[in-house]
Amino acid sequence: MTLVASFDWHFIWEHIPDFWTGLKATLKVAAIGIGGSLAIGIVLGAARANRIPVISRLAAIYVEVIRNTPILVQIFFIAGGLTQIPGHPIRLDPFTIAWLAVTIWGGAYNTENFRAGFEAVPWRYREAGLALGFSRLATFVNVTLPIGARIALPSSINTYVSVLKNTSLLTAIGFAELTDTAYSLDSQSFKPSEVYFALGATYLLLVWTLSALLRLVERRLAIPETR
Amino acid sequence: MPEWVDPVAHYMIHEGLPTTLRLAAYAVVGSTLIGVLLGTLLTIRFWPLQALIRLYVEVWRGLPILITIFSVDFALPTAPLIHHRFGAIQGAAIGLILWGSAQVAEATRGAVQSIPKEQHEAAAALGFGWIGRHRSVILPQALRRLLPPLVSLLANIIQNTTIASLIGVTELLATGQRSIERLQLTPPGDSHAFAIYAGLLVAFFCISFPLTRLAIFLERRLV
Repeated sequence: MTLVASFDWHFIWEHIPDFWTGLKATLKVAAIGIGGSLAIGIVLGAARANRIPVISRLAAIYVEVIRNTPILVQIFFIAGGLTQIPGHPIRLDPFTIAWLAVTIWGGAYNTENFRAGFEAVPWRYREAGLALGFSRLATFVNVTLPIGARIALPSSINTYVSVLKNTSLLTAIGFAELTDTAYSLDSQSFKPSEVYFALGATYLLLVWTLSALLRLVERRLAIPETR
Repeated sequence: MPEWVDPVAHYMIHEGLPTTLRLAAYAVVGSTLIGVLLGTLLTIRFWPLQALIRLYVEVWRGLPILITIFSVDFALPTAPLIHHRFGAIQGAAIGLILWGSAQVAEATRGAVQSIPKEQHEAAAALGFGWIGRHRSVILPQALRRLLPPLVSLLANIIQNTTIASLIGVTELLATGQRSIERLQLTPPGDSHAFAIYAGLLVAFFCISFPLTRLAIFLERRLV
């Protein structure tokens, strides 16, 4: 019985407004990160799939560097490293660092998702578009993009969910998102069980809701014959 | 080479790197053992067991690793019945194993289910029980399919060990940050943060890139 009795539900209830403040910052950064990585993914994924000379090479380097280094080191590099460049220091405010870091990370994973998606579009579809007199760009926008983006959707959903989860690491640079709010609440109240239970439950709710929503979109957009 | 580089590099390579590799080794071994066991059990058609393992997988895959590690390190010691404070490395390893084993369980389920039904039947006909059948016939074949995701997992775990620096483990990232702080406090007070963080990115890239290439190579060869 001590298990239930010692758990202070009232404490969680009392501090919902605090969590709400952190939650708003988390959702804001996650939304920018997801939107940004979608945009980067489509543009650089298209450049990769169409082997556009210089851009394709640079995009490949960007993807490999980001995917093979820890995002936490990337965050510190942007927050602490860039301010110390000899000669040309770059100083950014915490919010800019926050969305920039998760967007750059998500964009790299999404470039790879969309590259694979665009490359999976059968060549004959594009050939048909070109034969109808569409320019290469018009063929991409009207043929490759609508089909390839749908092929890429399942794998990019994982990236979007990871972008949301990665925002928790921004507490490391003191950006006041959900995890940071919980961390300071714990250090003021000394109620770690309550704080981290509430934090974990909130993240699971967020992650499960986001993936359920995205799967709904996936079902709605699925290519008819694969439905 | 500037004068400050030598002591910093020495500290990071002899103090930070071994801790990173040790933590990664604990995490990858623990994740593989628990994950393979849970993933194999997940193929048994008995719904209470399936529901339980599913819950385990969905919870630890759904939570950000940082939250899992914070919970193990800060909240678990105050929980009733446990009252045990783990060391920072142990806490980080447990957190990474909870996440990693969930990943491995999911991959193992797929790999075991990809083995044709006839293999189960043939093994059963030879008189193997459930355990013997899986240990001697099914899992050795499933391992081929499991190897590429396990190599990717190793690369991911090495990257995620940096999260342990946030609960005070002196792994590679933490030794870099301590060096930055120390350089800042000693005259002439230049932290060299740009060079040190860039060096960390290069170091992790050199460890991780060959592993992700190996995973792609194995994927092409084995599957």
